[in-house]
Amino acid sequence: MSIRMEQIQPIIDHEYAYLMAERPHWSLTKGDQDLELVAHALRVLLHMKTAPQHPDEYLALVDCQHADGGWGKMSSEKTSAAWVTAFCALMLIRGNLSLKNPRIAESVRKCVRYFLDTQKEDGKWSDPSWADLDAVSHPVSFFDVLMAVGPNLVDAPTMVRVRDSWRKGMKFMLERQDADGGWYDPEFHPTGVEITAHLIQDSIVADLVLGDEHQVRNCCQKGVMKLLSVQAADGSWDGENVDHTMDCTRSIMLVCSILGTRAQCDRTIERGLEWILKHKCEKGWPDFPGMETNLERTCDGLDTLLKYKTYSQPVTTALVKLWGYAA
Amino acid sequence: MIFLAKASEIPEGERKLVKVNGVDVAVFRQGGRFYALNNACPHRQGPLSRGTVEAAAEGAGCFVRCPMHGWRFDLATGDSNGRPANATVYAVDQRGEELYIEI
Ligand code: FES
Repeated sequence: MSIRMEQIQPIIDHEYAYLMAERPHWSLTKGDQDLELVAHALRVLLHMKTAPQHPDEYLALVDCQHADGGWGKMSSEKTSAAWVTAFCALMLIRGNLSLKNPRIAESVRKCVRYFLDTQKEDGKWSDPSWADLDAVSHPVSFFDVLMAVGPNLVDAPTMVRVRDSWRKGMKFMLERQDADGGWYDPEFHPTGVEITAHLIQDSIVADLVLGDEHQVRNCCQKGVMKLLSVQAADGSWDGENVDHTMDCTRSIMLVCSILGTRAQCDRTIERGLEWILKHKCEKGWPDFPGMETNLERTCDGLDTLLKYKTYSQPVTTALVKLWGYAA
Repeated sequence: MIFLAKASEIPEGERKLVKVNGVDVAVFRQGGRFYALNNACPHRQGPLSRGTVEAAAEGAGCFVRCPMHGWRFDLATGDSNGRPANATVYAVDQRGEELYIEI
């Protein structure tokens, strides 16, 4: 590894301090917020291992959960949506590993009911803001985590329904992989880069940790190869898209670690990370080089560095934990 | 009406990001016509000026696809084809070499 930890750690410290200083702009304890941003920030707290110092942030998320178990894009919004609900659910189930709060546990059970109630016959969940594959991937990821770290949170019959629902969701995604290893959605993701990065890391690769019921090794390897093949010479993905470059870099880190193909991917990851570091703003990260800093991207940047820190250690279990697929 | 840009600054098929009254406006030139949209995608504020321009078959309009999560907007109307919100568009008034918008 040519990127040294002495280089990364000060950036993590600096960016975390910046994120905490920006709390009025993302904390539900300060008012109505965009819940996708909130979930991004809560993930940073989890990976910084500072969630126990901020139980109020997680409880505030519980407070704005709808009766059907979901959340909307804004905390004040009354209609639930699948993608953001899954992101919130993931943060709560993972946050509660350290917080151990009964209100959060009950909230997670409501999330489970929401996803069981809203899955379509063909295995997908729909969300008008996201491609179907994205909208499926997040609830499947939530069920991955539930099966990995929280099976006792729900009763046995519910767990049977969860497994059934999870299988249908997995099938929906696996059947739609293209022969070239990528996933595409003509409506949302013609290049397929972001969706491929999301799917292999957020949901599919967990199958290997959970017992390999779907035998996804080859599918994940093809997905990684697809991402490796479309990295630009400068280290970025998707036309210098900071978000998608962070997605690809993180995705490859996890998937190649689980597959045992790090040697094949190390240089790609480093080049991605070098590009990400090069295009940082003074505080935080922008959506594209030269733009103003963006809080959500800053959370993604911090998350990428924190994952790289763990990736740099030889033990894969720690990395798997960072995605929530192990307690 | 507020001055936006000179037409020659935006060659055919190109785009330019212009700040007008504190608002970031993405200006596109497609098929000899100019289109102006608020640069912030109504989904999660992705920069439309960095989006991909796509033309519908049979000349049935041009679209810009947000580079972040792929919502697609009609350049002329801002319509998002069923997504939860549309892009904000501004009418462009071309006076010779100069482009103006109302904002
Ligand atoms: S920000 Fe434009 S589609 Fe998401």
